[in-house]
Amino acid sequence: MSRAFEAAEISKSFGALQVLDNVSITVNAGESVGLLGPNGAGKSTLINIIAGYEKQDAGLVTLDGTPLDEYAPHVRAHMGVARTFQAGRLFPQLTVAENVALGALGLGLSRKIARQRSEHVLEVLGITDLEGIQAGGLSHGSARLVGLARALAAQPKYLIMDEPAAGLNEHEVPALLSALSKVREETGCGMLLVEHNVGLVAQACSRVVVLAAGSMIFDGDPQAALNDEGVKSAYLGDAAFGGGH
Amino acid sequence: MIQAILDAVSLGGVYALAALGLGLVFGVMRLVNFAHAELITVASYTLVMTHQFPLVVSMVLSVVVASLMALLMELLAYRRLRGSNPATMLIVSFGVSVLLQKIYELVFGALPRSASVATGLTGTFTVGGVSITTASVVTIVLAVVILLAMGYLIERTKLGLQLRAAASDFQTARLLGVRSNRLIASAFVISGALAAVVAFVNVVGNPQVDPRFGLDITILALVGIVVGGMNSLRGSALGGFIVGAVLSLLNVILGNGRVYAYSWMFVIVIVILLVRPGGILSKFATKERV
Repeated sequence: MSRAFEAAEISKSFGALQVLDNVSITVNAGESVGLLGPNGAGKSTLINIIAGYEKQDAGLVTLDGTPLDEYAPHVRAHMGVARTFQAGRLFPQLTVAENVALGALGLGLSRKIARQRSEHVLEVLGITDLEGIQAGGLSHGSARLVGLARALAAQPKYLIMDEPAAGLNEHEVPALLSALSKVREETGCGMLLVEHNVGLVAQACSRVVVLAAGSMIFDGDPQAALNDEGVKSAYLGDAAFGGGH
Repeated sequence: MIQAILDAVSLGGVYALAALGLGLVFGVMRLVNFAHAELITVASYTLVMTHQFPLVVSMVLSVVVASLMALLMELLAYRRLRGSNPATMLIVSFGVSVLLQKIYELVFGALPRSASVATGLTGTFTVGGVSITTASVVTIVLAVVILLAMGYLIERTKLGLQLRAAASDFQTARLLGVRSNRLIASAFVISGALAAVVAFVNVVGNPQVDPRFGLDITILALVGIVVGGMNSLRGSALGGFIVGAVLSLLNVILGNGRVYAYSWMFVIVIVILLVRPGGILSKFATKERV
């Protein structure tokens, strides 16, 4: 049995609009895969299907060989699939430490272990100074980092990140990359990174998948994607590639 | 004056407990459980029907009965409605409320049942020349102890953290793996236990229990959770306290005009909600829902 998180031949339509057409993506254990695509390419729909928030019309999602289609998102969380959200989706009245601890508490772990994990991931992400702050008072960038910390506190087998670097400044992005690399080395967690920041994906991922208009147009080395004519014309354009964003 | 303040704090404490019970269930289900009134009522009937038992036994029985009934409500009526339109759930809770009232009427009769419960609490004592009712002091002590215990449960335990998270955004809490059946059942059981405490205090003050005994306090507790902030358990307790305390003080301040106490209280409620539409503790309202 392969240790991989896989979405195979996924198709999805909303009414007459086909959002995904026979898309396949695999994230192996310990691998970091980038998911790129312009707005409307189907990225969000694909990760919603993978995480169990939406149901596909066709295709199969498996976790280490086990079909996941019958499992709700919270069950998938117990099975080792965590995700972050663009808006953080933190609990605004709870402290950062409490928010992060909930990532582990939700899986049935004790409060003590959850607190230890919370402290550890906050340290790895370099945001221990936020620990006692109420999450409702965080900046957009900090909220995303805390959302990532919460997902990491669950020590998932596979982590789906929805634009984790958006809102971060030029100092925070390298720190985030370093932290993700450290987590991957420590835990062997497979990561799927949905990003608009091509430079970040090129640095963080060993493989990249590009979607355009609901179809997969590239799956391979990030540097090769940067030079792929089909990717350029469909998604970023020459200027954006030159700028790295 | 001292007695008036004690009464206000006392009534505020009772309403805080009632509002907290409602707020717990609202937090995890977005259900305004109107049938909370019937939990108070059944606990009150239990106290009256078991008045010949030692007080502690009688109180424990009322907690057990109200908690079991709360659990049954969740299992038989509300569990199937999870995720439904809030209006649908509210109507069902009205239905459960009316149904239980009629069942109480069949079982206990439409006329009030009465018995002397905790007669030792009905007297007065004098401090520095001021006459103070024992019931108000005991009520305050009981409310403080229960609120502190609830505070510990909510702030310091795993269950409490999950309840607070669920009260803020149940869907996200669930997505993190929080076991919804267990969490919701716990909220209902605690809500039933709090209803029993409210019942005890009310029965000591007014041992005339009829099928609609818990209705008034539940309606005002509902006002309390809206005033305090529906997404916050602290807000629910605070809102309940404010409603109870203000109502008690208005009854004293208005003298012969106390028939208008409810009117004035709702004027105050409207003003609070105009200034803070989300409730007093609504500083960090959840802005995103998926």
